[in-house]
Amino acid sequence: MNKSGETILSVENLFVSYGHVEALKGVSLEVKRGEIVVLVGSNGAGKTSIMETILGVNQTRKGRIIFEGREITNLSSDKIVRSGIFLVPEGRGVFSSMSVLDNLLLGAHHNLKNAKEKTAYVYELFPVLGQRRNQIAGTLSGGERQMLSIARALMSNPKMIMVDEPSIGLAPKIVNDIFKILQNLNKEGYAILLSEQNVYKALKLADRGYVLETGSVVLDGTSEGLLHNTDIRKAYLGA
Amino acid sequence: MSLPLYYYLAITAVYILMTWALYLPYRVAHLHFMVVANMAISGYFGGYAAINWHWSFLAVFAAGFLIGAVVSFVVSIAIGDAPTFAVVIVGFTFIYITKTVIENWPAMGSTMGMFGIPLVNHILLYAYLFVLVTGFFIYRFDHSRLGRAASAIFIHRELATSFGVNTKYLGMFLQTWAGAIGGATGVLYGFIMNSLFPNFFTFPIIGATMTMLFLGGYTTMWGPLLAAPVLWGAPLLLPTAVASWRQIIYGVLLIVILLLRPEGAITRPFIVKVQTTIFQWMRIKKV
Amino acid sequence: MAVFLAQIVNGISLGSVYVLLVTGFNLLLLVAMIIHYSFPIVVVFSMYISWIVLGLTGGNMFLGLSAGIVSAVLINILTAPMFQHIMKKRGDVDINSTMVLSMGIGMIITDFLSHSVNSGFPIAFPDSLTGRGEPAFIRLGVISMSRGDMLSLTLGIIFVLGLFWILYKTRAGRAFRAIAEDPNGAKLVGIPILKTGLQSYALTGLLGGVSAVAMSILLGSASPGLGDQLGRKVLAVSIIAGLGNLKGGLIVGISLGILEALVQGYWSGTWSNSIAFVVMLIAILVKPKGIFGMKL
Ligand SMILES: Nc1ncnc2c1ncn2[C@@H]1O[C@H](COP(=O)(O)OP(=O)(O)OP(=O)(O)O)[C@@H](O)[C@H]1O
Ligand SMILES: [Mg+2]
Repeated sequence: MNKSGETILSVENLFVSYGHVEALKGVSLEVKRGEIVVLVGSNGAGKTSIMETILGVNQTRKGRIIFEGREITNLSSDKIVRSGIFLVPEGRGVFSSMSVLDNLLLGAHHNLKNAKEKTAYVYELFPVLGQRRNQIAGTLSGGERQMLSIARALMSNPKMIMVDEPSIGLAPKIVNDIFKILQNLNKEGYAILLSEQNVYKALKLADRGYVLETGSVVLDGTSEGLLHNTDIRKAYLGA
Repeated sequence: MSLPLYYYLAITAVYILMTWALYLPYRVAHLHFMVVANMAISGYFGGYAAINWHWSFLAVFAAGFLIGAVVSFVVSIAIGDAPTFAVVIVGFTFIYITKTVIENWPAMGSTMGMFGIPLVNHILLYAYLFVLVTGFFIYRFDHSRLGRAASAIFIHRELATSFGVNTKYLGMFLQTWAGAIGGATGVLYGFIMNSLFPNFFTFPIIGATMTMLFLGGYTTMWGPLLAAPVLWGAPLLLPTAVASWRQIIYGVLLIVILLLRPEGAITRPFIVKVQTTIFQWMRIKKV
Repeated sequence: MAVFLAQIVNGISLGSVYVLLVTGFNLLLLVAMIIHYSFPIVVVFSMYISWIVLGLTGGNMFLGLSAGIVSAVLINILTAPMFQHIMKKRGDVDINSTMVLSMGIGMIITDFLSHSVNSGFPIAFPDSLTGRGEPAFIRLGVISMSRGDMLSLTLGIIFVLGLFWILYKTRAGRAFRAIAEDPNGAKLVGIPILKTGLQSYALTGLLGGVSAVAMSILLGSASPGLGDQLGRKVLAVSIIAGLGNLKGGLIVGISLGILEALVQGYWSGTWSNSIAFVVMLIAILVKPKGIFGMKL
């Protein structure tokens, strides 16, 4: 595995609020090239807020986001997607009235060159999607939708993929499949920022992790370290 | 009283009433232009009854009020809970159909108009009495449980339903009431002008009342009350060459206010500020 | 029977104009998320621009019709920032205030036309454009079609098909549909929302311009009140079909054209126009949310 230690994304002292609600209170984190980094935290801790802010959906009140050495704070989402970040949103975010192929092509909206090769590539990774390319996405199963959402991310030629709570609402076996897919993608060189409530599985998969509580990072470290941390074991692993 | 002043005051009362008639259903986000059709139907009925059957003004006025209420009530059974745009188009089609019927009905004067509606003494007094009574009841409504329910519906119809607000009945109630005001105002208008023309009950009054509602502010009853005299009066002060562009002036004002101050000139926080200022002032006086 | 068939054919021509207008209206509703009630008023304004330019250039068809199309596109693009401003300010899209804004625009255009162009009298397009007084272009048994009918029907078919092609086969169309289904989700996959919205304004402007051409040919005349009348019909058709339902709009638009033509065929007089409105009113009262379901 190529984990050169070069930082691809760094978030510095990020503050975000929705009206009067302070969702993020000075979050800092880093993702290195070829790494899987996991954000863990209970409901409302701020995982989605971090990812959406990186993608430029929310305006920051303070702080900087740097991607591949370039500041992307408060750029518009389409520019950020162009620069190589793609989000697999919480709840999949597929367009259910549109076909599987349309959904895939939307991932490549900013760059349709080589769309043929890219679709061929994701059909190879996800044969189900290839068989159902003309099916309406709304009729896919939950697991298939999650695959479609990940495949759509790959269509955008990303350098880093953010995956927000992929395991929600899926059977344990399907969750294992999805995690396997993420692992394989990581081996192909994609950096992955993952958010999960399934802490044990996520830490097993990831290289490093950050623990969030009400908008702040309260703990971070290697997955090994976090897995053995007593506070974590008490709070999230029920031990 | 000079004739221009008399007409200014009388027509101002008509516009206040019609804008309130638009304001009431807009409390539940219904832009109910139907009230203009009510105005025409009751107005023409009133004119006919007064000329041919020699009904007294008060009898005609009461009948106009009732007819407005009944027509709007019947329609509200279908659209009491409809989406805004459906309410809008029902109003527009009703206006159009009413106008076509009048234009093709010789007894109503067809396109020539209806003339000879008798003069009534003290019509101005009656008009403002009706403004006062209507205003009183709107005030009571706005400060009641139902008024709060209406505000909840305006903000979020589905959510309000889940709180147990019966959106349909409230919509029907407001539409019926507005229709009654529209009908009665139609009769008033006929007796003020002593004549009626089918063309009045279309574009001119829709544009004017809509502008008064949104410019004055649709969140409180005070917006229409203040906007009607100003918006109706201001063009009268301008030279005729400019005043004949009334509709364009209204259109521009409407767009500007929507862009700059979407809730209109007079908003709820503004009313609260005025109230506290008055209270403070009164307290100082007492001491 | 002869009258019946002939009126059906006329109705389809008329219906194709309604379909053009309703499709433009629905597109703005779906992608730009506004109720542009006055869209048909803008179209009538473009007819007036065509007429004025025709007068100035001594009847140059190409210049006249192009001026109409360009003006429709321009008006749509120029008014777009106002609509977008309202939507941004309100956070959640407040569709009612976009409708009121659109009505304000309509008030200005209609009053301008009734004051300043041709002293407010109806305008008539030259016979060389409409084909009035020429022998029928096509004659099939009892059915005959004038050149004007043919032309406007062809324009209608080409542009509605073209629009569906853009929507379902191109990159921009895919983005339009994505925004129509889920604006927030569309943002997440990197679709520039405002820019795409602007494209939809331009495209509907083009559609409006083409509608203006078709109407100039088919109706042969226009009046200041025409826009308001069409505005009511288009909103009614769109609601009956189900707001934002493109295919439903196709069916209901054609049906309205046929209904009106049949009424005119059998029942001439000032009443004929209101019959369509009575039918539409009943349809809306019975089903305020439309026959084919809203796509909003
Ligand atoms: N659009 C919004 N408006 C107002 N508050 C918001 C909004 N989105 C998020 N919040 C608030 O911000 C905080 C962080 O929310 P966020 O969705 O980032 O949490 P999360 O960690 O993703 O939670 P979950 O595991 O439930 O998805 C919460 O308190 C939430 O209520
Ligand atoms: Mg979340």
